[in-house]
Amino acid sequence: MSNIKLDRRRFLKLSSASVFGAGLVLAIRWQALPADDKKILKNTSQFQPNIWLKIGTDGRVTVFVVESEMGQGSSSLMPMILAEELEVAWDDIAIQRAPLKPAFGYQATGGSSSIRKGWATLRSAGAMARQMLVQAAAQQWSVDPSGCYAQHSQVIHKQTGKQLSFAQLAELAATLPIPENVSLKSPNEYKILGTSVPRLDIPGKVDGSAQFGIDVRLPDMLFATTVHCPVIGGKAKKINDSKAKQIVGVEGVYKIENAVAVVAKDTWTAMQAAKALEIEWDEGKNKNLSSQQIQQQLETAAKNHAQVKHQQGDINSPGAVKTINARYDMPFQAHVPMEPMNCTALINDQGCQVWAPTQSPSKAKSTAEQYGLSKFNYYLEKISRRLDFSERDAVDVHTTLLGGGFGRRIHQDYVAEAVQIARQLNQPVNLTWSREEDIQHDFYHPHTFHVMQGSVDANGKPHSWWHRIAAVGRAGSGQLPYAIPNSKIDLASVDIAVPIGPWRSVKHHYYAFAQETFFDELAALGKQDPLQLRLELLTDPRLKKVLQLAADKAQWGRPLAEGHFLGLAVHKSFGTYVAEAVEIALDDKGEVNVIRVVVAVDCGIVINKDTLIAQMESSVVFGLSAALKSPITLKDGRVQQNNFYDYPILKMSEMPRVDVFIVKNNESPQGIGEPAVPPLAPALANAIFAATGSAVSGLPFV
Amino acid sequence: MGWILTESRLSTGAKYMAQFTLRINGKEHRIEAANDMPLLWVLRDTLNLTGTKFGCGVGTCGACMVHVDGEPVQSCTLPAIAVKGKNITTIEGLSADSTHAVQRAWVALQIPQCGYCQSGQIMTVAALLEQNQNPSESEIDTTMNQVLCRCGTYQRIRDGVQLAAKMLKEDR
Repeated sequence: MSNIKLDRRRFLKLSSASVFGAGLVLAIRWQALPADDKKILKNTSQFQPNIWLKIGTDGRVTVFVVESEMGQGSSSLMPMILAEELEVAWDDIAIQRAPLKPAFGYQATGGSSSIRKGWATLRSAGAMARQMLVQAAAQQWSVDPSGCYAQHSQVIHKQTGKQLSFAQLAELAATLPIPENVSLKSPNEYKILGTSVPRLDIPGKVDGSAQFGIDVRLPDMLFATTVHCPVIGGKAKKINDSKAKQIVGVEGVYKIENAVAVVAKDTWTAMQAAKALEIEWDEGKNKNLSSQQIQQQLETAAKNHAQVKHQQGDINSPGAVKTINARYDMPFQAHVPMEPMNCTALINDQGCQVWAPTQSPSKAKSTAEQYGLSKFNYYLEKISRRLDFSERDAVDVHTTLLGGGFGRRIHQDYVAEAVQIARQLNQPVNLTWSREEDIQHDFYHPHTFHVMQGSVDANGKPHSWWHRIAAVGRAGSGQLPYAIPNSKIDLASVDIAVPIGPWRSVKHHYYAFAQETFFDELAALGKQDPLQLRLELLTDPRLKKVLQLAADKAQWGRPLAEGHFLGLAVHKSFGTYVAEAVEIALDDKGEVNVIRVVVAVDCGIVINKDTLIAQMESSVVFGLSAALKSPITLKDGRVQQNNFYDYPILKMSEMPRVDVFIVKNNESPQGIGEPAVPPLAPALANAIFAATGSAVSGLPFV
Repeated sequence: MGWILTESRLSTGAKYMAQFTLRINGKEHRIEAANDMPLLWVLRDTLNLTGTKFGCGVGTCGACMVHVDGEPVQSCTLPAIAVKGKNITTIEGLSADSTHAVQRAWVALQIPQCGYCQSGQIMTVAALLEQNQNPSESEIDTTMNQVLCRCGTYQRIRDGVQLAAKMLKEDR
């Protein structure tokens, strides 16, 4: 146990009315457990010591979750942290999406940050409630609270063995003062953390009841789709909608800021009408943009000016015996979450309501304010009744489940569109993009170009290392983890009109690829074993440990089956250390089959073991799609890919065996949603290098 | 099932409104829809059966998989009118209380992540096991290649098919 003083601002005893007042006009089936929902809605008097939880007199503990659930598991992991300190049985936990109230802070889910951000707060929130429940029991029994403890939703008196349940204690606990200090458990006392308790969102995901943004259905709802200029940044000049409007069921065609919207009685009709629109586009200044041209711009930028990010020693200092150069080209990638972009909006005399599968409810709200209220002041013009839209609560965002995010849903372009369409209507509208629009109007993982130069000394050990990164948008890098006497990393950011955004693991994907792929080339130049050389040069013991674990589990150095080869890579990102060993088989035609991926991970304290494993598996597949499948390319200012037939993702028969091994320790818990993406492509590249003897030139490997 | 609608077909003006009855999850629904409106959108937007998902619209991702007389079919490219009089089963009708072996296996192995594709996965597996009680690894791979998962739950799905097959045998 450790004692900590509570941050009063974070744990202010907020009355239910101030935080949970109006706002929740239409509750979303976020956790699809109908029977439990009824329990939550049952108006039992409740113990709510802080904004993160409430305990009903039925014993149900409702945890408020601010993170968006997009498959990464936060909606169960965050409650696990609280439940551990509260000593509540996992079966008693229910989750509810936190309302968009300032008390919960800025709501955005990304950067594998949920656990890191919520860890301290949720532990304290649970511990506070537990202490008050223990206090309540002690008071009831007229004993000293130090003689009581909580376990499995009960408070127990050690001496007599008497028990009172949280349900029985909730009412009394609610009358007690908030404690000044709380004591937190130490990791060796954990009962829930580190186990694989079942996720709360899964039952609704096997019977069709889980509600994603695209599934929101409201009375009198209309359906819409939008089309965007195929040329990046272009706008509609002239719209001929006469054919579209002849289609039965079409309700209207509207020009909005960056698109043309069709509203109809169903999505299909809207999409058919969108195809029947005759739009003359002002293609703007990007109509000649092409991948080739971007490639040239990046190469030129890499030759010219760059900002030095890291420098140690002098890369030109004497001592180099052999030198090697490499260039890696990494293309644009799209996110393609399985649920296409969508958003539902309603503007009426109650204000503006938005239902969105968004990674950032707070940004969705400000976007809706911008487009639904202040910018157009639409309702003030249109209705006679005076409405005070300066009241920020006039806009509310209901966050649904997300059918994948991967960074795409940090952006709120679909929210802006839905709200603009809703301004034209008196009823709710569900906007859904076609897959084609989703692929062609993404915020892409940037195209990057890497120039590498390295040398080895007379002993074959690395003497110098130079990594220059040119990227569309702002170039980024990680940290060189190897003790190489002379090293330099510099960056060239190139301003190109292609929209760029965070894509699972962001800069680490391209940075780690170049670093770890080049490391094997440099090792080969000095005739060194890439594992041994890494272990020799890595300075961080945790990186060494995961690397050694992955190598051991993959049995590095063992005789492999004919045509089989192994490659390794290691990288730290989002606080977590991951090493991967990829085993490939080359067939007669020289085609690469990925047989097995060994993942070794150190993310500090493990919250949910099974979810950690699932995120490692998921990241491997995400990395494989980028490494093996066709990328996003541009021609004549247009993204050339349309749908899964020309922007394919990994499919079942291509799935390798993935084995995950976890380093156990009591370091503070770190991100798990992204860190296993970066090592995948370089480990695969190194397996291909081992197989062919010739280095790869970038992604994809096909 | 080659019901892919092409734009050229649309531009010939083949479209007309039709009235027909669909039998979905054992219940009859009177439908009025364009003759080329895919079953997917009748389910989702007309009948609010939103468990069946839209992923690509061109029959490449399998998120919209339903059963028509027990056969797995991608509902995004199948005109609803073409299945009048047939027995249509969606994820909502696979079992009354989520107790189908595939659903139980999916919970047991904690397969879904974002979950968006999982209706399609589950319906495809349920149909496969109906026809083949002991699918081989390659039969599983070939069948499941139809249904994409961006979260990458494939390894668990493979295991899930085997577990569901075992559970089905125990049920029988």
